[in-house]
Amino acid sequence: MKKVVVLTAGASVAAISAVALAASGSSINPALITAAKKEGKLNTIALPPDWANYGEIMSTFQSKFGIKITNANPDGSSAEENQAVVSLKGQGRAPDVVDDGPAFAIQGAQQGLFAPYKVSTWSTIPASMKDPQGRWVGDYWGVVSFGVNTKVVKDVPKTWADLLKPEYKNMIALNGDPRTSGSALAGVFSAALGNGGSVSNVEPGITFFQQLKQSGNLLPVDATPATIASGQTPITIDWDYLQLSYKKEVAKNGITWQVVIPATGRYGAFYAQAINATAPNTDAAKLWEEFLYSDQGQLLFLKGGTHPARFADLSARGVIPKALLAALPPATSYTNVKFATDAQQTTAKNLVASEWGPKVAGS
Amino acid sequence: MAGLAFFLVPLAATLEFSLRTAHGHGLAAYRDLVSDPQFWSTLEISLKLAGETAVAALLLLVPTAYWVHLRAPGLRPLVTFVCVLPFVVPPIVLIVGLLDVFRSQTWFVSTPQFLVPGYVVLVLPYVWFSLDSGLRAIDVRTLTDAAQSLGAGRTRALVQVILPSLRASILGAALLTLAIVLGEFTMASLSLFDTFPVYVAYVGQTQATGAAALTIVSFGLLWAAMFCLILVTRGRHRAAVR
Amino acid sequence: MDWLGVVPFLGYATLFLIVPAGAVLFGAVRDGHGGVTLTYVNEIFQAQYLNAFRTSIELSIVTALGGVVLGGLLAYAAVQEGTPHVVRAFVTSFSGVAANFAGVPLAFAFIATLGTVGVVTRWLADLGLNPWDHGFTLFDFWGLAITYLYFQIPLMLLVIAPALDGLRREWREAAESLGASTSQYWLRVALPVLAPSFLGAFLLLFGNAFSAYATAYALTGGMVNLVPTLIGAFITGNVFTDPHLGKALALGMVVVMTVTVLAYGLLNRRASRWTR
Repeated sequence: MKKVVVLTAGASVAAISAVALAASGSSINPALITAAKKEGKLNTIALPPDWANYGEIMSTFQSKFGIKITNANPDGSSAEENQAVVSLKGQGRAPDVVDDGPAFAIQGAQQGLFAPYKVSTWSTIPASMKDPQGRWVGDYWGVVSFGVNTKVVKDVPKTWADLLKPEYKNMIALNGDPRTSGSALAGVFSAALGNGGSVSNVEPGITFFQQLKQSGNLLPVDATPATIASGQTPITIDWDYLQLSYKKEVAKNGITWQVVIPATGRYGAFYAQAINATAPNTDAAKLWEEFLYSDQGQLLFLKGGTHPARFADLSARGVIPKALLAALPPATSYTNVKFATDAQQTTAKNLVASEWGPKVAGS
Repeated sequence: MAGLAFFLVPLAATLEFSLRTAHGHGLAAYRDLVSDPQFWSTLEISLKLAGETAVAALLLLVPTAYWVHLRAPGLRPLVTFVCVLPFVVPPIVLIVGLLDVFRSQTWFVSTPQFLVPGYVVLVLPYVWFSLDSGLRAIDVRTLTDAAQSLGAGRTRALVQVILPSLRASILGAALLTLAIVLGEFTMASLSLFDTFPVYVAYVGQTQATGAAALTIVSFGLLWAAMFCLILVTRGRHRAAVR
Repeated sequence: MDWLGVVPFLGYATLFLIVPAGAVLFGAVRDGHGGVTLTYVNEIFQAQYLNAFRTSIELSIVTALGGVVLGGLLAYAAVQEGTPHVVRAFVTSFSGVAANFAGVPLAFAFIATLGTVGVVTRWLADLGLNPWDHGFTLFDFWGLAITYLYFQIPLMLLVIAPALDGLRREWREAAESLGASTSQYWLRVALPVLAPSFLGAFLLLFGNAFSAYATAYALTGGMVNLVPTLIGAFITGNVFTDPHLGKALALGMVVVMTVTVLAYGLLNRRASRWTR
């Protein structure tokens, strides 16, 4: 799979719609629903309620099917999710489903952690976002964006080059370190794309952050809603759906947080669902996935500011409410988004591992 | 007094931030916090774990420290080394190992009490140094000899003579345990238990003023708890001396 | 016979510390297929990882020294005979909480104080002395060190106060009646008696700082190159899927701490001459 996938939102649907006809939102196998209800419980892990609208997704699932969800370690990482599958094997508390970054989904599949399952809407999910054997499947994707506090920053940056302007001194922060945080790594990819690099060569991205640090614009601090609301980090680089959730949170403090997709250098990545091979509640797990990939579930992901996996299919059939679309940045912001394959990711990670420390962190 | 400023100003700054709302200042963040049932349930679990850990750690280390001081001073370097090992072993390594080793004992690994042995290991350095420091300060040998010449067995000497003199150290150790358990995140989150620090970390990543409010509340609660504990034991100590 | 008393302790440590930790640390010398390899251990000798060890050690020494000195002074002030019990309870309980105040809340507290829009920063800016304009930054080694002191100093206080309590008034009176000045008392009597406890406290503070992770990550996001941050990235991060390098780094941490403890043992034997 060497292709670089370019996804466009909105109207260019002709090619895909032919396949979409079969899938509709609410035709979940009733036998599965009964079996899942008999289990009565679902264990999830690392699903922050304000990440991609998981809070509403979980509560909707619970009230629709009467199945109780226990969500452990909401702030966990993908590594911790896979670790929990291994460490808690055989226990009733083990996670039934995981939401992993792609590298961990692939690794987990290789280690035999996941049970294959193809949801009923499988055919409408792009091939680049699913495992051919069905061991994992992408659920939503997002794009790296700038979040800007418009009260503090009068001149909103629109491109990567803009970020280097001296007026943004001590203002810009990443969501962590690219050797730990998927979002920060994506920031490096995105910066690379916006500075003459590509998904196979993120060197320009690392160089860009080196410049940003040397110019004094980059703040080493880990951006969180608290640092945003206190005014410490007026500009952050993060996933668009996270920026949209911060927007809601810091409005409570009277801050207007604007989300900007950079004009050039657009990088996207998805997260993937997988069912634990030794899950304590297998039917509930399958029902969960059926729900997530139904029209209703996918629209809830959209409400959280992400692009659900079946976005192209949903918009082809015209089932997306206008109001939901209006809450996201305009469709033109999502043209020319580049994704990276697993091999390209590995190359980039190794480069970051060897260069970020010496070049950017100053060691 | 500069010391006081250094410690109180950052707290004051957090407090000020926690009171910010969309229209100036108010208690909205605190109201949201107190009405969150997760706040109370996780706090309860952590307090229970802290108490259990403190008791277990002291039960393990007080006799050991006493023995080392009295009978086997040559073993102190070994005991110290073992008590420093927890620093060396990152909590993540410890919990993954514990989960692996005890995997088959499901009755054990599925209750939050599974964390207690791990937590006792975590607090070993702090408890040991506290007890060791305190035992150095009193003349263990003389006190024990005096007690024995008055007819007490070694255990009785330990409980009735040495322990009261160690009150400050034991209290310090217990307080450190309480604080450590209420701040321990890695092991609890990897074993998927919902403890207070897991809750705090989650709020810290997702909320703004809510996180600051939680900081102030947990700091204040812990401080009040410790303050009361000290005053209460101090009262008994004075009575014992008289 | 002398061994008997420490058997329960050693048994506990073996079961709940040594065995689990050993099981995982063996991963440092194993490759993915069960064979033994030194590849990962060799990797940690690259410049940037050695640099991480150096920075971690420097930070730990600096904050341990700062904690011992400043905490010692504070402890001395708090345990004076004239100090009312309530004040002492106040100080001790505060120290108990502050000694474990770390991670995101601590980082944020300092950001809210000394950050670019922090309370103290703005106050100083009003006086025309904004430190950020003169090259100060909270998000580097020294900012982190100052933040670490917030829990190092109280930790020192908690650990050393009982030892200070044990400095008997009689010794001071005896010294004075022999004609010793205050400084002579301290130099010749008190400090030598306290030396082992101070050494132990230093070791504790060093270990405490060396293994600290959450505060460093929250405040500097990995920009200050520290070993625990790297271990976290490799073992529990969202980026790297191969934990072996993390385990090799953890092994490195074991080595550093072992050396430190051995050094402590040597120094302690010399210092303890005074207490027997």
